[in-house]
Amino acid sequence: MKQNRISFGNPVLFVEEQFMSADYFKTIIVPMLQGAETTILLFLIAIAVSIPLGFLLTLAVRSKFKPLSLLCQGYIHLMRGTPLLLQLLFICFGLPLIPGIGQYLVLDRFVAAALGFTLNYAAYFAEIFRGGLLAIDKGQYEASKVLGLSRWQTTRKIILPQMFRIALPAVANESVTLVKDTALLYAVAVPELLHFAETAVNRDFTIMPFFYAGVIYLIITFVLSMFFRWLERRFKFE
Amino acid sequence: MAIIEVSNLKKSYGNLDVLKQITFEVNKKDVVAVIGPSGSGKSTMLRSLVHLEEIDGGSIRVADDYLVKDGVYSKPQDLKKITSRMGMVFQHFNLFPHLTVTENLEVAPRMLKRESPVAIRHRSTELLKKIGLTNRADAYPANLSGGQKQRVAIARALMLNPEILLFDEPTSALDPELTGEVLKVMKDLAEEHMTMVIVTHEMGFAKDVANRVLFMDNGQIIESGHPDDLLTNPQHDRTRAFLNRSFN
Repeated sequence: MKQNRISFGNPVLFVEEQFMSADYFKTIIVPMLQGAETTILLFLIAIAVSIPLGFLLTLAVRSKFKPLSLLCQGYIHLMRGTPLLLQLLFICFGLPLIPGIGQYLVLDRFVAAALGFTLNYAAYFAEIFRGGLLAIDKGQYEASKVLGLSRWQTTRKIILPQMFRIALPAVANESVTLVKDTALLYAVAVPELLHFAETAVNRDFTIMPFFYAGVIYLIITFVLSMFFRWLERRFKFE
Repeated sequence: MAIIEVSNLKKSYGNLDVLKQITFEVNKKDVVAVIGPSGSGKSTMLRSLVHLEEIDGGSIRVADDYLVKDGVYSKPQDLKKITSRMGMVFQHFNLFPHLTVTENLEVAPRMLKRESPVAIRHRSTELLKKIGLTNRADAYPANLSGGQKQRVAIARALMLNPEILLFDEPTSALDPELTGEVLKVMKDLAEEHMTMVIVTHEMGFAKDVANRVLFMDNGQIIESGHPDDLLTNPQHDRTRAFLNRSFN
């Protein structure tokens, strides 16, 4: 209690000197970087699978085969209309409780989480791509048709490149959100960056690990943002 | 034999008849200017020739084949072959923004694989020279002026060696000082005896270059004839009223 009072009353005091030292930094940074590795790995898997999956969803929603289109629209609504945390908890802890088949649905926590993130983000990417398609002028389709391109050739050579270009800023935004959402792994007890920071905070009674964690998130999102900036410049078409 | 024969063309959107019994012919080497007020059905008529619009009745014959006969379209696999005799230039250019000028020209021929890449490159180089844009070969459309874009669009249509070129208000989206460079390219094509159908508001150009003018109003061809006759001495009141408005 006493320490708390001092902490809130005088911010300089609670950052005790021993936790500012290089030694403490070294002991704590190693597990945190391991946590960051999990964070980054989850991010990479989720992004690498959910973007193509989202794209397929977009195509399916636009399909002339109504049942498929409706099914995928329902899926997107389900994924966007419920909390990601609920979805993760459902996959990790809910699936094994299903009578009969539950015992076969006990997944490794990380795998389960990666699955949850991928399924959820695919729905968001599908919506982003759909927006990209809507932004393409119908004159592009007409010019392609008059030039004799087939539907598939038009889609592949004319429409998709433009769609990805238009969607790029929104994809960048969603990716940064994904990095931060990986902190939800905490809820399903997969040790990631935030988990190690919190453990250290509780154990050592210092706020520094939170700062370190914040800085690591910032570095990851900064690198990611730079990458997308580069992509946007690279595909500026000017 | 006429290269395009359109007879009793009909099209409606719900209760609105946009084309009513349109009948006309285009002969080889003709330059036909189609004029008329907005909403008269000019563009719809032109677009139906390349199957960008579905018509509800009548026939369109192109060379030896019927695109649609008495309201019944040819088999899907034949439609493409029939429309491939025609190239089209749009009011808003419809260049592919993610491709350079050269790529815009070459994308369709390369996909269609009727010619070797070397022959395609040879042709695109030649056409860029013809439209005076050799130095813009690697530019993206975003960096071109409107007049340059439309010239590229014409070259792109020519890449496929069409027998007929259709123009849908090719200068309507351009600043007035840029129309000249586009009209010049079209005039050159006319002098090379390219068969052309041009929906236009450029009366001066129609007078100079066209050998026939069709005046359309309210989904019908009201009058047609040589520009010297039709533009200076129209027979119908509606034509006269339109021309008076256009020239004043």
